[in-house]
Amino acid sequence: MIQLNKVYKTFNNHKALNNLCLDVKSGEIYGLLGANGAGKSTTLNLILGFLKPDTGSIDLIDASNTSIATDMIGYIPENVNLYPYLSGVENLDYFCKLSGFKYSKNELSKFLIECGLQDDAHHKSVAEYSKGMRQKVGIAIAYAKKAKVYLLDEPASGLDPLSSNELSELLKKLADTGSAILMASHDLFRVRETCNKIGILKNGNLIKEMDADQVTPEELEGVYLNFMKN
Amino acid sequence: MKHILINEWKGFLRNRVFMILLFIFIFSLFLTTYLGIVQNNKQIQAQKEAQEHISEQWDKMDHGNPHQSAHFGSYAFKPTSVLNSIDEGINSITGNVLRLEGHRQNDVMFSEASQSLLISKFGKMKPSLLFQFIIPLFLIFLSFNSYTQERDTGRLKLLLIQGASLKKIIFSKIISIWLIGLVLLLFATCIQLIFNLHQLNIDTLFRLILLLISYSLYYLILINLTILLSVIFKSSTGALSLTVVIWVMWVVFLPKIIGNTVEKIVPLPTRVEFQDEMDKDRAQGIDGHNPSDNRRQELEQATLIKYGVNSLSELPVNFRGILMQADEEYGNDVWDKHFGTLYSQLQTQKNIYQFSGIINPFASLQSLSMGTAGTDMFHHLYFLSQAEEYRRDLIKKLNNKWRDGNWDKSFFNSIEDFHYNVPSFLMFIGKYLLDIVLLSLWSVILIFLVKYLSKKTVIL
Repeated sequence: MIQLNKVYKTFNNHKALNNLCLDVKSGEIYGLLGANGAGKSTTLNLILGFLKPDTGSIDLIDASNTSIATDMIGYIPENVNLYPYLSGVENLDYFCKLSGFKYSKNELSKFLIECGLQDDAHHKSVAEYSKGMRQKVGIAIAYAKKAKVYLLDEPASGLDPLSSNELSELLKKLADTGSAILMASHDLFRVRETCNKIGILKNGNLIKEMDADQVTPEELEGVYLNFMKN
Repeated sequence: MKHILINEWKGFLRNRVFMILLFIFIFSLFLTTYLGIVQNNKQIQAQKEAQEHISEQWDKMDHGNPHQSAHFGSYAFKPTSVLNSIDEGINSITGNVLRLEGHRQNDVMFSEASQSLLISKFGKMKPSLLFQFIIPLFLIFLSFNSYTQERDTGRLKLLLIQGASLKKIIFSKIISIWLIGLVLLLFATCIQLIFNLHQLNIDTLFRLILLLISYSLYYLILINLTILLSVIFKSSTGALSLTVVIWVMWVVFLPKIIGNTVEKIVPLPTRVEFQDEMDKDRAQGIDGHNPSDNRRQELEQATLIKYGVNSLSELPVNFRGILMQADEEYGNDVWDKHFGTLYSQLQTQKNIYQFSGIINPFASLQSLSMGTAGTDMFHHLYFLSQAEEYRRDLIKKLNNKWRDGNWDKSFFNSIEDFHYNVPSFLMFIGKYLLDIVLLSLWSVILIFLVKYLSKKTVIL
């Protein structure tokens, strides 16, 4: 579903991505691991269309082999900064309207519940929300617009273990509906727990790809540290 | 765009600080507009009473002969326009009463600035002060981080991913803040309309509409500029600082610098120089009160020939009336020469100053604000020329009556008071076309720049 073919990207003579090839299939959760400056955010910005590759191509194609428009991408940044003067439901309603979806209050609440936000929080101001709660609204925004591709930038950063676990479960549920999920992270444990496939990015090069179920958390840590040191 | 606009307004309305500020502005606007109207009405009433008093004095007085009445003279009151309560322009400096008498043209008297305490010379609290200085600052502070806040929190990416274009986001923000300015303008306008309903006419309405358009354009320029700078600069504080510096340049420094430059290009004589020159030319005319004056003797001869008599005592008319009118006409020529030059110099200065709107839209706004309120120099000069016309007509009537004789009380009572015909705005619109064009150009160019930049900006 998400296909990056031989993508190069440089910033002021610095190679941010070097011949990156990536394939995230429908129903798959792909974890992109890497240190700061490895090229994870550049990869996401390229897929989101905020950057153009120097060479190479980025294709978003659904199961029937037709192109997915960028507005069918759901993007969940590290900090989902919603409008603090709106409630969770109002935020969701606003972002849905921007994508051309108009839902009833019940439907909006249903989306929030499906994304794990408790009923009693729906009408509270987002200023009172924890990071995890805002993230759930962020995912609900993507879910409500029927996104086929989800891009997550450090989604588990700063979340408590319970929220982090809830996030993993939610992403798995979304993948089960046929969505392709690409998740950039530092968190080896969370990536191992959540993803089907893992890629390690170093200095813009995809140096290792593996299936998550083929490695134990300890092995993954060993592989990651080994690549980072060399 | 509609959804972004509604959301922006929700943000404003749910912000306590904003609501307090908005309330303060609305209250201040109500107070200044209302008090301005009350003060205006008082002034109109005071002028009316003074006019009635002078009229009564004229009707009841023992006139003696018409020349004595010419010396007694009359007064011309510059009527306060309804919109003076919004922008008093140069009225507080120029004064509003002109003494009209024979032999001499006087200066306008009783300017408020000359009579009030020093503190009020810095400008009275009029809605124009709020419109030109306070509300723009408020709009700048609302605009400077409107875009950067979205960018810095990462919300901008979310908005774009949801399908909103950068152009729509930026313009929605511009319009939402601009609407706040419009609401405040409309509020003050409504107060004007409600409390001045009995004095309103088509001309005032037309002026009010142009006043609204002018301020709306100026606010659009300021908001566009602030948001444009915030899109260009990475830091919102940098954008705010630069916007405030530009604004201060517009309202404080450029008007002074350009004003001084214009005075250098088209210098005006000092009051003393001007009066000396006038006196010099005036001295060369007929001295109606000096029998040994050469010109007087020439006129005597010409009059005797005209009437075919040998001496003044044989004349069927009073020679002193002819003499005084001749003296008056010479004085009028001198006045026309000197004041004509002065007026044209003032007009040239004003015209050059209007061109500063190319670099300073505030100059165009001020010109339009005073112009539409009828309190600028064009309107003042128009009043002066009407008053002078009346004075000449009055003195001529009196001199001619003195010449022909046979006057009685009914003659003096038949002389009408000075009535100022307020010029229709259509008469003056041509003088403000440059200001309108420059304000519109500023708006269009800035909108174009914002549009261009929204296409070129890279979001990361």
